[in-house]
Amino acid sequence: MTTIADELTIERRGHAGSAARRRTNFVIFLGPAIVLTILFFVVPVIIDIAVSFTDLSRSLRISEFTTEQYEKVLRTDRRLSQVIGLTFIYVFGTLAIFNVTFGLILAITTTAIRNVSGSFFRGVWLLPRMSPSVLYILLWLWAVSPTEAGLVNQVLMQAFGLDAPLDLLTSAPVALIIISNGFIGASMGMIIFTAAIRGIPEHLFHAAAVDGAGTFAKIRFITLPALRWPISFVTIYQTLSLLVSFEYILLLTKGGPFYDTTVYALYVYRRAFESGQYGYGAALALFLIVIGVVVALIGWRFFDMERLLQRPRIEVH
Amino acid sequence: MAAQAIPELSTAASEPPVDWDAVAARARGVRRAKAVVLYAFLIAVSLPIILPYFWLVTIAFSARTGVAETAVLWRSMAVVVPAVVAFWLTAALAQSRRQLWIGLTAVAAIAIFAFAVLVGPDLHLGNFIFLWEPDFASVVRSRIGEVKGAVQFPNVWHAFGNSILIAGTQTAIVVTVASLAAYYLSRFQFPGRSSMLRSLLVLHAFPVLTLIVPMFLMLYWIGLLDTLSGVILVLVAFELPFAIFIMKGFFDAVPWDIEMSALTDGASRRQAFVSVVLPQVRNGILAIAVFTFIRGWEEYIFVFTFLIRNSNWTMSLYMYWVRDDVMGVDYGVVSAVGVFYLVPSLILYMAAQRYLMQMSIGGVKG
Repeated sequence: MTTIADELTIERRGHAGSAARRRTNFVIFLGPAIVLTILFFVVPVIIDIAVSFTDLSRSLRISEFTTEQYEKVLRTDRRLSQVIGLTFIYVFGTLAIFNVTFGLILAITTTAIRNVSGSFFRGVWLLPRMSPSVLYILLWLWAVSPTEAGLVNQVLMQAFGLDAPLDLLTSAPVALIIISNGFIGASMGMIIFTAAIRGIPEHLFHAAAVDGAGTFAKIRFITLPALRWPISFVTIYQTLSLLVSFEYILLLTKGGPFYDTTVYALYVYRRAFESGQYGYGAALALFLIVIGVVVALIGWRFFDMERLLQRPRIEVH
Repeated sequence: MAAQAIPELSTAASEPPVDWDAVAARARGVRRAKAVVLYAFLIAVSLPIILPYFWLVTIAFSARTGVAETAVLWRSMAVVVPAVVAFWLTAALAQSRRQLWIGLTAVAAIAIFAFAVLVGPDLHLGNFIFLWEPDFASVVRSRIGEVKGAVQFPNVWHAFGNSILIAGTQTAIVVTVASLAAYYLSRFQFPGRSSMLRSLLVLHAFPVLTLIVPMFLMLYWIGLLDTLSGVILVLVAFELPFAIFIMKGFFDAVPWDIEMSALTDGASRRQAFVSVVLPQVRNGILAIAVFTFIRGWEEYIFVFTFLIRNSNWTMSLYMYWVRDDVMGVDYGVVSAVGVFYLVPSLILYMAAQRYLMQMSIGGVKG
C-alpha cells in the first residue's frame, strides 16, 4: 500500500532524476501527437489565413496578394445572404425538431416500455448513424425517387390514392435535408438523454405518483429538470456539427436545385472545389473556423475541467 | 409503470366499501392502454427507417431485371411483419419460460416456412456479380441497353483492399500515438500541461471539415494529393484529439497503486507503462480501435476530395460511382454493392456496441 511517505520518497527521487530522461520521455510519449496536431491543425489554419489574402484559383498559382476576397464576402457576393438565411433555417430546424425534441421523445418513450423492446427501438434509430453516409443517402435517393418505383411514391399512390408521383427533391429540398440529417441527429440526443433518464432515482417517480402526478406531470417536473445539462450539451454540440457538416447534403441534393440547399459550409466547398475559387473559399472558411473555435470554447464550460486538470500524483520519469 | 396503481389506491381508500379487484383491474387496463399507445407510436416512427433497409436487402437478393421488384418486397413484408408481431405477442403473453420457447419456435417455424414458399423462389445471388466478374460494368450496362458508361471501374476487391488499408493503418497509428500521449497527459506533470489539456478540449470539438480547403492545398503542394498515405495522415490527425481524450479517461481510471508498486519493485516509468498500465486499459484501446476503423471505412468527404485516380478508390467511392453511373438504374446491382459495403460496418458496431456506448457517454462527461 502507498503511504504519504512512499509518495514523498518517490517524488524526491523524481526530482533528483536526470532532466535528460525527462526530455526523452516527453519526446517519446507526446512528440508524435504534437507533431501531427501542429501539422494538420495549426499549419492548415495558417495556410487558410494566408490563402484568403491571395487570388488563388483553379490554376493553383498565386499571382498577387489582395483583400478582394474579403470585399467579396462582405459586399459583393449577393448569394451569401441567401446562403446564411438557409443555414439558419437548416441548423435550427434540424436541431429543434429532431436533435433535441425528437431525441427527447425517443428517449422518454423507449425508457417507459420494457427494457428489451426499448433497446430494440433505440437500435433501429441507431441504424442511420451506423450506416456509411453514401449508403444512407442512397436509400434516401431511392425512397424519394420521382418515379413510381420510389418508396414514398409507392406508399402514397397505393395507400393514399395519389395520382401522379411526387418529385420531392425539387419540390421540397429543404425539408428533405432537414429530415435526412435529423434522422441521424436524433439518435445522439436519444442515447445521451436515455443515459440521463436512467440516472434519475426511481423513488422520485414513486413519490410523484403518490402525490397524484400523471405521466405528463412526471415528465414536466422530474425528467425535464434532470435533463437540463444534457439538453444544453446536445444543443451546443449539435449546433456546431450541423453548422460545419455538409456531407449528407452534398450527397443528397449536391446543394441544388441551383443553390436552394447550399448551406454555408457547403457553399465554401462548392466555391473552392466546383468554381475553383480557392482564395475565396479560404476566406469564407475562416469565418466558419472562428465560429467553430468560439462554440468549442463555450462548450468548455460543460466539461468537468477540474477533474481533467487534476495533477498527477507520481513524479518519477 | 407499476407506480401507476398507487394514486388509484389512495383515493379509493377514503371510501370504506372498495372493490379492490375492480380498482386493480382498472389500473391494469390503464397501464396496458398506455403501453399500447407507446408501442404504436414507436412502431410508427421506426417503420420509415426499417423499410428502406429492408428494401435494400430484398432487392439485393431478388431483383432480376434490374427493376426494383416491389412485389417481392411487399410479399416478404407480409411474412416478416406478422412474424415480428407474433414474436412480441408470444413474449408478452407467455406464462412460463417453457411456453415462451415453444411459442417462439412455433412462430419461427411458421415464418420460415411462409418465407420459403412466398419469397424463396425469387431469391438469387446474381446481383453480386461484381464480386467475381472484374468487368461487371459492361455486363450490367449491356443488360440495361447502354453500351458505354463514363466511369471505369476498378476491381471491387481493389477498392475493398484500399478501404481496409486506410482504415487499418489509420487505426494502428491512432491507437499507438493516442495511448502514448494520453498516458503522458494523465500521469506526468510537466510545464504547459494544463494549457495542453485545454487545447486538447478545443481540438476535440474542432470542426475539421472547415479545414478541407487549406488541407487540399497543403496536400497538393507537398505532393501527397491523390495518394493513400496523404489521406491516411489527414484522417489520423483528425481522429487524434478525440482518441487521446477517450484514452486519457481510461488511464485516469487506472488506480495509482498498481503503477506505484511496479515502480517500487524497480520498474522504470516506461516499463510500468508497457507491462502494468497498458493491460489495464484494454477496453479503451479496443474502443478507440474499433471506432477509428469504422470512421476510416465509412469516410467519404475527404477521400472524395483528395483521391482522384480510380486505382485509389475506397469502398465509399466505389459505392458512390456505381450509383452515379448509367448502371445506377439497375437497382439490383446497386443494392448488392450497398449490402456488401454496409455489412462490415454493422458487424463492427454490433461487436463493439458495449464499448462504444461506454465511450460516447464517457466522452460526454469529460
